[in-house]
Amino acid sequence: MVAIMMMMTLLLTAPEWVAKLTGEKKPNTFWADTVIYPIIQILVVLFIVLTLVAYLVYLERKVSAFMQARLGPMRVGPWGLLQPAADGLKLLLKEDIIPLMADKGVFIIAPIITVVAALVVLSVVPWGPAWATIANINIGILFLMAVSSVSVLGLVLSGWSSNSKYSLLGALRSSAQMVSYEVGMGLSIMGALIFAKTLSMNGIIEAQNANHHLWFVFFQPLGFLIYIICALGETNRAPFDLPEAESELVAGYHTEYSGFRWALFFMAEYTAMIVTSAVAVTLYLGGWGLFGLETFIKDPTLSVIVGIVIFFLKVMALIYAAMWFRWTFPRYRYDQLMDLGWKWLIPAGLANIVLTGIWYALALPADQGGLFGFITHDASGYVMTGKGIVYFIVTGFLVTIPIVWMLLAAINRRSRDFNLHAQRQLQISLRRERLQKTAAAQPAE
Amino acid sequence: MGGTIKRLLLFDLFKGLAVTFKYNWRALYEARDGGNPNQAIYTEQYPLEPAKISERFRGAPRLNLDPETGGTLCIACDLCALACPVDCIEVGSIRREVREGDKVNKKKVLTTFIFDTSRCMFCNLCSEACPTDCLELTQSFELAVYHRSGFRWDREMLEKGIDYVRYDR
Repeated sequence: MVAIMMMMTLLLTAPEWVAKLTGEKKPNTFWADTVIYPIIQILVVLFIVLTLVAYLVYLERKVSAFMQARLGPMRVGPWGLLQPAADGLKLLLKEDIIPLMADKGVFIIAPIITVVAALVVLSVVPWGPAWATIANINIGILFLMAVSSVSVLGLVLSGWSSNSKYSLLGALRSSAQMVSYEVGMGLSIMGALIFAKTLSMNGIIEAQNANHHLWFVFFQPLGFLIYIICALGETNRAPFDLPEAESELVAGYHTEYSGFRWALFFMAEYTAMIVTSAVAVTLYLGGWGLFGLETFIKDPTLSVIVGIVIFFLKVMALIYAAMWFRWTFPRYRYDQLMDLGWKWLIPAGLANIVLTGIWYALALPADQGGLFGFITHDASGYVMTGKGIVYFIVTGFLVTIPIVWMLLAAINRRSRDFNLHAQRQLQISLRRERLQKTAAAQPAE
Repeated sequence: MGGTIKRLLLFDLFKGLAVTFKYNWRALYEARDGGNPNQAIYTEQYPLEPAKISERFRGAPRLNLDPETGGTLCIACDLCALACPVDCIEVGSIRREVREGDKVNKKKVLTTFIFDTSRCMFCNLCSEACPTDCLELTQSFELAVYHRSGFRWDREMLEKGIDYVRYDR
């Protein structure tokens, strides 16, 4: 009680001691700036994202139906538009089942960990310029990668606590997959960060807007490709949906979950999809910029709203692409998945960093250790000349990709020798040779 | 060489993506067309709209009436009951005098007709045996009832047919 009272007085007198600590003479905007306004932002973002998640499920069902010549949900509301509400209600009203012999505490806390890890990173996603971002911290992308990887813990705990072989196997697969693909993801974003020279999410977008409104995807096509593949693997989406492979594992790590806890896992999955798409848009597709459209809009409020709309449309395009991939490509086998992660994406990511670094260093002016002088630094950042743009696009598309491709071919030149089919063929051919040898050694009767 | 370039550019993946995208795009703008074997959406929203039934489908039985007089076409010859492999038809008749113009003939006249749809296997043999095109298997297929006794259709039901299904569109 006393502690709560002390906390309350401390909080209520916060403007005074903050002013005393910082020594600044400020108008008393502490509560407005650090409590009220962020809470409004958080509530708005949470409301929009959770509604969006519900409708992404609807969209996924519709997209899959259309791709398979079906109609999808049609009965709840016009074109089934109220289906998410009906689903949510059903999940809320379902019986809360905890399996016998399950580790009850861990079983309850696992989906919460997953969903919290997925929702916390929404705070650094740059939804729009100026006031539209909740927290513009200077290590935004690092924070995002670090916190979103905690969700693996929730999956592992859910699989372990369920007391079910399907859950456990699904969780093991999921953790192995997410850990491997996170490495490739981390490596792939480095190429874009070399150009951005900052880890702040807003800073990365501003760097792209300052650089002639050219998105980093033009300089980093390989990085973008690796990022997209790794993001699909990281969010457990097809063709990398091994943790939930229905034909092998029933439903994977959430086999034993039902009702609202299952809904939490689902929510986390779709939120992770939104977040990875938002990161791809931020890093490679210019965030809220659209080739200098925002410079024509003078009204600051309108420009923020236009920025939010542009960002949202780009994110939705990437989410549609993820759904499109899911309903087109068949699932990878487990060894193929690990092959792709460790033998293709990680070497490609490393090679991309090295090559991008070389191209960047060569483009610096001579007094900074470079060769061509396509980039000049000043106080506000770097400026790329017209030749520099052509140079980086040519190196990105026509030099980096072939070099990396040859490197990967060299690394994987003998990987076909090790697959199961090749091994069986090898044994068959060896046996045939042996039989022929013995037949030749015996004299004909 | 061409094959190598196709493999390098992941041609097969893009081909698959094009197929699914084409279906998605067609589903959004193309009107549904029942007869088209290559239509974008095949789903039939059956309880909302009438189901498409093939031409030779055999469903609920019906006793046809004479379109001119309105009387039944059945002459109570009992051939349908004899033809029925599962004995689901019972024809009841009496002999009585019927005035036809000036003459008065003694004829068999239909009184009751019981058709047990729970035993019927819709083989159409009764309809083929009928000499007057009276008994016929129609395209109607919604035969579900709430009680077993509902499966025994009497003469009135067979003559009126069942039309209790209402479609929204």
